[in-house]
Amino acid sequence: MAKNNNRPVIHARHLTRIYRLGDSEVIGINDIGLDIAPGELVVLKGNSGSGKSTLLSLIAGLDRPTHGFLNVADHNLTQATSPDLTYFRRKVVGMVFQSFNLMPTLNVLENACLPGLLAGKSADQVTSKAMGLLDWLGLSTRWNHLPAQLSGGEMQRTAIARALINDPDIILADEPTGNLDSRNGQIVVELFAELNRNWNRTVIIATHSDIADSVASMTICLKDGAITDQTCDI
Amino acid sequence: MKKHLGRALTVLLGIALGAAVFTSVRLSIHAALDSFTRSMDVIAGSADRVMVQPGGRVPEEWVAKLMQFSVVRDVSPVLTAYVRLADKKSEPFLLIGLDPIMDRSFRKWQFSERTEEDVESWIELLKRPYTLIIGKSLAEKYAVYRGDHLFIEHTRQTAFFSIAGILSPGGLAMAEGGMIALTDIATFQELTKLYGLVDRIDIKLDPNTTSEDLDHIRKNLPDNFQLGAPSAAKESGQGLIRAYQLNLSILSFASLFVGMFLVYSLVALNAASRRHELAVLRATGASPHFLFLVFLAEGALFGVMGWLTALPISTILVKYLLKGVSQTISILFAKVQVETLSLSPWEILLSFAITVFTSSVSAVQPAWEAMQVSPNEALEISRHGMTRKTSPRKLVIGGIGCLFLVVPLSLLPGILNMTLPGYFAILFLFVGFSLFAPWSLIQMGHALSPILHRFVGIPAYLAGRYVRDSGTRTAVSVGALITAVALFASLVIMIHSFRSTVELWAHQTVSGDLFVTTKMGEINRFRYPLPRTVVDGLEEFSNQVDIVPSRRYSLTYNNFPYEFQLLDIHVFLRHGDFVWLKGDPDRVRTLLKHGKGVVISEVFSNRTGVAMGDRFRARIESSLVELPVLGIIRDYRTRGGVVFYSLPQFNIRYHDVPWGGCRIFLKDRTKNPEMAVASLKNEFIRRWGDTLEIISGQALRNTILRVFDETFAITIVLLLIALAIAALGIATTLTVLVLERSKQLNTLYAVGADFGQIRSMILWEAAFMVVAGELAGIVCGFVLSYILVYVINRQSFGWTFLYEVDWGALAMSLPLIILTALAAAYPAIKMVFRESPATLLREN
Repeated sequence: MAKNNNRPVIHARHLTRIYRLGDSEVIGINDIGLDIAPGELVVLKGNSGSGKSTLLSLIAGLDRPTHGFLNVADHNLTQATSPDLTYFRRKVVGMVFQSFNLMPTLNVLENACLPGLLAGKSADQVTSKAMGLLDWLGLSTRWNHLPAQLSGGEMQRTAIARALINDPDIILADEPTGNLDSRNGQIVVELFAELNRNWNRTVIIATHSDIADSVASMTICLKDGAITDQTCDI
Repeated sequence: MKKHLGRALTVLLGIALGAAVFTSVRLSIHAALDSFTRSMDVIAGSADRVMVQPGGRVPEEWVAKLMQFSVVRDVSPVLTAYVRLADKKSEPFLLIGLDPIMDRSFRKWQFSERTEEDVESWIELLKRPYTLIIGKSLAEKYAVYRGDHLFIEHTRQTAFFSIAGILSPGGLAMAEGGMIALTDIATFQELTKLYGLVDRIDIKLDPNTTSEDLDHIRKNLPDNFQLGAPSAAKESGQGLIRAYQLNLSILSFASLFVGMFLVYSLVALNAASRRHELAVLRATGASPHFLFLVFLAEGALFGVMGWLTALPISTILVKYLLKGVSQTISILFAKVQVETLSLSPWEILLSFAITVFTSSVSAVQPAWEAMQVSPNEALEISRHGMTRKTSPRKLVIGGIGCLFLVVPLSLLPGILNMTLPGYFAILFLFVGFSLFAPWSLIQMGHALSPILHRFVGIPAYLAGRYVRDSGTRTAVSVGALITAVALFASLVIMIHSFRSTVELWAHQTVSGDLFVTTKMGEINRFRYPLPRTVVDGLEEFSNQVDIVPSRRYSLTYNNFPYEFQLLDIHVFLRHGDFVWLKGDPDRVRTLLKHGKGVVISEVFSNRTGVAMGDRFRARIESSLVELPVLGIIRDYRTRGGVVFYSLPQFNIRYHDVPWGGCRIFLKDRTKNPEMAVASLKNEFIRRWGDTLEIISGQALRNTILRVFDETFAITIVLLLIALAIAALGIATTLTVLVLERSKQLNTLYAVGADFGQIRSMILWEAAFMVVAGELAGIVCGFVLSYILVYVINRQSFGWTFLYEVDWGALAMSLPLIILTALAAAYPAIKMVFRESPATLLREN
């Protein structure tokens, strides 16, 4: 699937996700329309329960919309099959989480290599790439440490290395500074900004804080599962 | 528990199965033991002493002579024999011959009918020969009533009896589950042709009788008579049944032991998943001891609920076991007739206490971990990474310590005739190997992960890494599997070794083409000799066959029951042989033929302490036999030991004994021996079929092996239950591991793993656990099989056997265990992604 730089990398119309909880229904997001151009650094803002994570999981190909249309990097995620979604997660998106979600039994290098190995790339190629990333992220001396031996900032940087190992077009970060102190939080935000500026990646950061406001090229405010035109009021 | 309802129910099922097996085994053997004890008690009555002649009978004249001793208050002569209904092909039942008047102060028995008829029945029993009073169970089984006639078959003859009355349940009528009949002693003697003889004389003594008074009586008895305690037979029978009870109890406890791992797994999951909650509790004032008690109580609650769930399962299981256990005890040790299941409060309390105790013990370690939760953790948003609580090296050191204890414990003798040190050795063996599990998983992960990465792929690699680093949780399930596999492998080896040795014994020692004995000879302990006419008639066939006459005496040696068997050794050794254990066979055979000594069985030697070179002493009827022990042989008869001596030499050196039976070997085996045996058997039946029992050697040997297989049927059922519980353990652990790691698995999905890769990873984790458990289990099983063969069997039953591994059965069954355990991974695999991976983000 060839990329067309004139078209939005993320294009959503009437995007709706409704969860069933027993007999009742909970609206995650409701009738969202969205266009994000390639190379943007988007900050997705909203309170807890506003729908940020739901939107992010749909864009990441982790979940499917109940209604509406979603196209990400020329991948129609509304109609994608399970293998399509696997391919999409491997090639198109890299994810960073609030709780880092590193594999506790794997060391820093192995965690960074994991998506590459899952994608079937050769171990040598992936290891070499991962070492380069860890070097860039200031973790070259920590490559053989287990997550339990790292600080929060180091864990999040490892998670960023993992997100970049397959050269994805889009980086999705869900509250990436939520478990970090302000200094480490700022470092992580700077890294995302650098990725966006120098590596030309589209970055979407979901957060309820204003830590990333200064680097954002676009801000989307969510409230009760819908995009609001008003100023984000958190 | 509510949080993990499915797992909790699985664990409950595991505990319930274990508790049900344990309770049912205990209750059924207790019922059999109780029935045996009651039967022996009511038959022994209230006698203080009993006068017998070892290997023979007591002349009736001693009834009057004993009464002349001032301390003798009452005496009662008694004769017993098993008989059966000739026309109804019934099971043998016990016929007791007694003097109804003299016996009244010894045994309680009354009629189920009205009092005035009692007197009438009494009079009938005394005044009319061939009248009977029968137990209610017997009457009901054959639908016979007062006044009916029974055609009763005894070894010596068959005769009509009329029923003078039916006994009401209680007292003597409870012997053998009511399957008894009483007759006047004179009628008994006439039926059995034991004129003027009785089996024993029961004696009641003055309460003030001193040991000097007893010595005085003994001095006035001929040397060949003994004045013994009436409980001797009961105690020896009880000893054998209790040894069987202990063995089966331990085996059934294995299911509970395996169940312990299940409880551990779930309580540990609860402790881990509620860690934050526990920290909050600690922060708000809960003491570490409170948290410890909470989790201990959780374990205990599993025990209580498991035990309650076990009750309905036990009621079904106990019916099957009661039948099987009673049959086994009747065949192996002593005849028991269990009519009803007596619920012993002690046994029920014991099973409850053991179930709750084992469940509580399983919760100790997770409860201890819960105690360690720091109040600071309440402030942490989440815990990152995995930390090992206990160093695998420390566990290995503990494991080595346990394994070191196995050898000295195995070498200790039994305590109070019970193989307790041996069982403790097994416990330490299981614990030792289980403590090795975390270390062995780490080593396996280290060694295999890179290889699997290269050749199998990333899922196997990740599984290896996870299992390597997962700590105690995975290791506990591996420990459960080690226990179950070790039990399986060891019992397969033990049963195979045992069976092979029994086959060899049956082939060599129970050799012969035809075995001839009196009718109901075995059940009456071969006490009636073959009629002279039969012996003469058999000798007419001496041109076709070699005859090995024998005589068997059931005796005791320091209260240990054994059989003194006289055999024409010379002829026997031409066709058969003993299975030699100690002594130079060539030398011993020669000496034995010349009557220079006896050979004793391993059981007799182990139980009495008589060793090779010692002198064997026994009173056989009127003779005192004192001979050196020339050798020790293997023998697997189940009612004690055996001592062999030459029959012709006995006749020369001591006194003439009539043949009790004989075995027959064809001289010419070249022309269709089966046909020749069949034709010989038919001829014998034609001539003496009404007085003899004739069985071909092949049929006898097949019967021995059938009994062997039936005996181990219960063992195999218990073993399969233990394996099923271990499979439940694997299923629970894997499910727990999946649940615990749902975030990790969702992360894997988010970073590019597909469903197949994740499922494959879980299957590989199961494979690692199963292979580690199976490999360690096999090694443990081999050690255990040595302990079973050379310690437990030796101490419990007095025998050992030739160690032989059934490689075929192991090779067939171990892959099956692997497949079963891998199948146990299915629920865990199904559990993956039951919730959408998107929860990963929502949880954030």
